[in-house]
Amino acid sequence: MSMPPRAALAAWLVLVALCSGWLYRNLSIGTDLTVFLPPSTNSAQRMLVSQLRDGVASRLILIALEGEEPPALVQASRELARGLRASGQFGFINDGDLASAVKERELLLAYRYLMSPAVTAERFTVAGLSAALSESLALLASPAGPFIRKILPSDPTGESRHIVEFLVPDTGPEIRDGVWFSRDGTRALLIAETRAAGFDIDGQAMAIKAIRDALQATGATRVRLLLSGPGVFASEARATIQSEAQWLAAAAMGLVMLILFAVYRAPGPMVFSVLPVATGMLAGIAAVSWVFGPVHGITLGFGATLIGEAVDYPSFAYIQAARGERLADTVVRIGPTLRLAVLTTVLGASAMALSSFQGLAQLGLLTIVGVGAAGLVTRWVLPAITPANAVSRKVYAFPIDARGAMTIARRGRWIAAASIVAGLAGVAWHHDRLWDDDLANLSPLSEAAKSLDRTLRAELGAPDFRYLVIARGRDRESALEASEAAGAWLRETVGRGWIAGYDLPSNYLPSRKTQQSRRAALPDATTLARNLDLALRDVPFREGVFAPFLEAVERARTGPLLTIEDLRGSGFELKVNTLLVASEDGWAALAPLRGVSRPTELAAAARAAGHELLDLKTESNHLVNSYRNESLQLIALGLLCIAGLLAWGLRSVVEAARVLAPVLAALILDVAILLSWGHRLSLFNLVALLLVVGIGLNYALFFNRPVADPDEQQRTLLSLVVCGATTLSAFGCLAFSRTPVLHAIGVTVALGAVLSFVMSAVLSTRETRRGAT
Amino acid sequence: MKGCAELALLVVLLAAPTAGNAANSPPPLSIVELMQMLASVESANARFVETRHSALLKAPLVLKGTLTYRRPDRVEKHVLAPYDERIAVDGGRLTFENRTHNRRKTMSVSGAPGLAALIESIRATRAGDLPALQRYYALQVEGHRGQWTLTLKPLDSRTADYVVSLELSGAGARIGRITIEEASGDRSVMEISEQHG
Repeated sequence: MSMPPRAALAAWLVLVALCSGWLYRNLSIGTDLTVFLPPSTNSAQRMLVSQLRDGVASRLILIALEGEEPPALVQASRELARGLRASGQFGFINDGDLASAVKERELLLAYRYLMSPAVTAERFTVAGLSAALSESLALLASPAGPFIRKILPSDPTGESRHIVEFLVPDTGPEIRDGVWFSRDGTRALLIAETRAAGFDIDGQAMAIKAIRDALQATGATRVRLLLSGPGVFASEARATIQSEAQWLAAAAMGLVMLILFAVYRAPGPMVFSVLPVATGMLAGIAAVSWVFGPVHGITLGFGATLIGEAVDYPSFAYIQAARGERLADTVVRIGPTLRLAVLTTVLGASAMALSSFQGLAQLGLLTIVGVGAAGLVTRWVLPAITPANAVSRKVYAFPIDARGAMTIARRGRWIAAASIVAGLAGVAWHHDRLWDDDLANLSPLSEAAKSLDRTLRAELGAPDFRYLVIARGRDRESALEASEAAGAWLRETVGRGWIAGYDLPSNYLPSRKTQQSRRAALPDATTLARNLDLALRDVPFREGVFAPFLEAVERARTGPLLTIEDLRGSGFELKVNTLLVASEDGWAALAPLRGVSRPTELAAAARAAGHELLDLKTESNHLVNSYRNESLQLIALGLLCIAGLLAWGLRSVVEAARVLAPVLAALILDVAILLSWGHRLSLFNLVALLLVVGIGLNYALFFNRPVADPDEQQRTLLSLVVCGATTLSAFGCLAFSRTPVLHAIGVTVALGAVLSFVMSAVLSTRETRRGAT
Repeated sequence: MKGCAELALLVVLLAAPTAGNAANSPPPLSIVELMQMLASVESANARFVETRHSALLKAPLVLKGTLTYRRPDRVEKHVLAPYDERIAVDGGRLTFENRTHNRRKTMSVSGAPGLAALIESIRATRAGDLPALQRYYALQVEGHRGQWTLTLKPLDSRTADYVVSLELSGAGARIGRITIEEASGDRSVMEISEQHG
């Protein structure tokens, strides 16, 4: 196998140019979560996904103000709410102050006879009016009297009151001076619903900035602002990951460079060492972009991790070069081993590329192409571009005689065996606590942020959006009708005490049918005037007082129905738009439930009554579960292929077993140690374990490689130590991250690298060197 | 000069009974003293007659019933005629129950700021809870221990849009009358006869 160096160089340059050109014209980075979800999910899971992306829940920002005396907080809360309403970034701001929801109050008043569930024909008969009037009389004489006095002449039947009672839960937070407060009175609370969808992280970041700016504009400098909610988490996580990734990468890079410089004692090889992995990343991204279109951000992040083992390839080549040996000869000598190292990873990743999850498939493809390209560059391009004496100043042998350690290592087999058994026992012991299925834990949130969110949510009585009742229809109208039917059932369940409350799109926009029937229930002007006159005989209201009422009913009776256009610009519009969504086969009305105390009974009753109850947490756990099961199957398949490839490549099943054994042992111990630290395994750990397999196989292959003389063995050992040390430094840095994703990957890989190294040294080193040592 | 002295004597003589009167009459009452006096009451029961004057009504509406108070935060107003209605505050919860119209509702007092202000005017005055009163109202006290008047003006502009002032008057630790002047021009007067337990 030979290729003129120039041809290799030319091919490489063409490849780099083509990939760069393609990416320059076509690369788009996706942040759409759905790419990482299985395509064949049921409608409940599709609903979950759309809710995660742009549902009401994903748009809520919970705001708390603290650090001042209550009067100052009240002031700050009111001014903040005013500022946020003016910012135009929010559909709905609620600080508990109904009086400030001017637009919404106007709507309620204008359309009260079409919106109030209390409107029936009976209500406008003599008897109905008489009952309503005497009730209003009692209310006028009650402590609430002064406050309803003004509206009484135009709304003697109290329809606006009924709607408010219907819309505003009794179980809201404490109110002080008209503003929501925490129970202990130390925090003023608000809820803001962003116009930007939850997955629009830039939009969420802008909304958060608008909140900070609005608070600053109030001049309340001593008030501390606490924010929570999916959008806040997403944008904070992104900021944290970006800033952490930067300095962690810098630290890791610094350490790796330091190690490489200590070995090469010249800058040249350090620069060349970057080429294979850089080429791999470029080619990998181009391939994913070519096949899939948009490349997901997660693919990029994890992809960089997965092809991380390619950083080791040049080290194997450079360090194994004997004194005076041409690099081209070195790569020919270690070629078969290097080829197996590359092919095992490519094969392992092929299984992943077959996944039905587009995200996993993207990762798989990126790894195949990336690692493959890195291998080719190491094999053909590095010898062509590395000057003859570039590595001549490098360290050739281990500074201390490590052969003694190797001998001890070989005798340590029984310790290795014992620890594998212990590891297996540990995994078995934790078998029921192995997996972390909670989608929430996949999000890079600190425990402090989660606990703040729980507290604020509880204080605000905000729906946690775990449970949704879904009412479906062919079109918007029939979904609204279904929403009303679900509403009737939900009222019963509130009565039974199973849930504290619910929200429904039809509360804000009743179906045309309902509006028409309410309108039909209103009597004509003459009849109503006569009925009112008769009703007024029994109650001491002055005649003529209710003229505004007669006008209002006549206006409603002859006026237009309430449509979504009328809600435009009010908080109700966003409510309807987020609670009434187009689904794959029509429309769906969503009813988020608050304070679900009897989920089991509720689910059974929902089934019995023919309503669709969705437990988003269960669904998301199913999703993570199915994701993990598929990943596990693919990993198992990948390992099988790798075993086959090793047996073929090494021409021996025994040899293959010798190479595979330390890797499997390292995996088991890695998992056992993580579990014993109280971790549960998530998808991040799985991805990290795949890299451990890749790295571990390289170690095992090189430890197992037949060597000609003690010098070569020394160089092999040195190259392995250098590779181990660079991997450990790079991923050890990641382990210091506060972001759970980075931390999980860092810990798993750093630990796995050390374990693979030790296990390979113990289990794979050839004993045939007895004569030589 | 003599005339001058005579005039002075006359002035003194004429003034003397007045000055003597001033010295004998009880000293003006401070808000703190009033609150201390009211706070000494552990519980109270009372009958009331409330007259609601409103431009909406042909004739004033007269309510009769009982008031109950337990120190520090339980107040109940029970209307017995012309209908049966109970409004009770216990701690922070407000219970409204109209048996005639078969309605019942409980809510947090704080949920309705205006209503909370009105209810606090009675509860906090009865309990002698000065900080609570000051949270909602500007206070002014006139008279003496034997006959005093406490005028409350809402601080919050939104409550002030509906309620102009509340005037509570009483003798000693007893509250005898509560008058509410509304922004609409309506007013209600509640006459109370208290028995302390």
